[in-house]
Amino acid sequence: MTDNLSLDFVKQLFFLMQDHHLGYIYKGIFTQEVTDTILSLTENKLEKQEESSKLKKRVYNILVEALQNVTRHQASDVKTDPQHDSLFLIQKMNNRYVITTGNIAPTQNIPYLQSLIDKINTLNKDELKEYYKTILEEGSISDKGGAGLGLIDIARKAGNKLIYKFVPLNGDLSYFYLCTVPVLEDDVPKGNVGIAEFHFVEKIHEILNKENLSIINNGPFNQESLLTLLNSLEGQMIGSISHKKKVFYIVVEMLQNIIKHGYIPSEYDQHAVPGIFLLGFAGNFYRILTGNFIENEQLISLKKKIDKVNELTKEEIDDFYNESLFNFEGSNSKKTGLGMIDIRLKSGFPVQYDILPINNHYSFLSLQSLIAVE
Amino acid sequence: MLEPLKISAQEDTPSVVLDKENQVFEIGHRSLPENAIAFYEPILNWLTEYSKDPLPKTIFNFKLEYFNTASAKQLAKVLLLLQELAKNHDVLIRWHYLKDDTDMHASGIRFSKLLKVPFEFIEM
Repeated sequence: MTDNLSLDFVKQLFFLMQDHHLGYIYKGIFTQEVTDTILSLTENKLEKQEESSKLKKRVYNILVEALQNVTRHQASDVKTDPQHDSLFLIQKMNNRYVITTGNIAPTQNIPYLQSLIDKINTLNKDELKEYYKTILEEGSISDKGGAGLGLIDIARKAGNKLIYKFVPLNGDLSYFYLCTVPVLEDDVPKGNVGIAEFHFVEKIHEILNKENLSIINNGPFNQESLLTLLNSLEGQMIGSISHKKKVFYIVVEMLQNIIKHGYIPSEYDQHAVPGIFLLGFAGNFYRILTGNFIENEQLISLKKKIDKVNELTKEEIDDFYNESLFNFEGSNSKKTGLGMIDIRLKSGFPVQYDILPINNHYSFLSLQSLIAVE
Repeated sequence: MLEPLKISAQEDTPSVVLDKENQVFEIGHRSLPENAIAFYEPILNWLTEYSKDPLPKTIFNFKLEYFNTASAKQLAKVLLLLQELAKNHDVLIRWHYLKDDTDMHASGIRFSKLLKVPFEFIEM
């Protein structure tokens, strides 16, 4: 692990998510806890958006069904190839929520799935209800039970067509992307989210696979969203209590750093700080990453501060922490903040950073902190 | 008699009981406020006031599950006031930590080494 590693993908993901109004992505094993967390995160977001209760209920119901569908069809082997992980994304575009899931499917099942979805997409509300009954009576769908029923149910609840794409992985397996845009009855279905829209999902998915990332939260950050994120991490992280706690410590410091020092370009909502949070793995490490804007005039002193904590030995960091702990000068002093020292101390590894210029005024700062999985 | 200071725990701020009459001095739960200086100000003011006419023995309980670095600095200020008090009075810091929480235990050890005030460590 070197300091001059490229964290360009953080910026890339931030802008991809920003451009496509993506708030949240999860890639990994879907357990009950993970599903519950995603549901409560979304519920939380829906509450804040002041949507009509009808739309909220509809989005929520589809989420439950879509997440169950993904859970049911995820790779059964836990120690699976990360490429086979299931995927969940939620976007809000033009007052509509776009829910995308992904999971592997045996390539031999694809012609059936494809014809099933194509058929579902030709049926109206009443016909879907009838078709659901027929399939239920036949009960012959898949050995995992009710693959077709799940899809029909999602279509019924969405009130809109299902959008899908299959991508071959190797001879036996394909990746199945399913996208739903819930609409209300009095709303004209906007069917044409189109296959082309999957390009960015695939692009994001490719980065997640390459960098082995599991949780991504596209801010904006303030104390409230930090607390929501912390609660969600408790349900989604694997590992021992002490590990979770270490991650918790580092996440708080990294995000409070963004809230305090992050720059808000004028085209962004000024009430919270734009930024991105990512959690992933690298060999035997958890990788905790953040990205945010920073004013160029702060860059030199920031680099100095990080370089300084990175150069210190364990004993020296300890002394530096003690010195800073009892230093009550203003937080804007030239001294390294206790937060950065603490991140370095808890992690045990250098804090990696990458600064990518945006314009003459500000840049994009990516930080990575590693925690060894014991 | 100095009025007690009682604050109930929120999601990001600790519970506080500073009660001279009932001899309870305690900070608990978790502390990660956005503005730690503002949150701890009344606590520091209360302790400064208390120090003018303290009980013969003050047992101060820290029962924290988590605190951020901004809170760490404010806790350092609280402990400095207690160290000052310990010059002429009997003061004991009881540092509670959850079983297996090595980080919280280490934080207490760190403070105890840096300060001249007796510490007692208690597993919760």
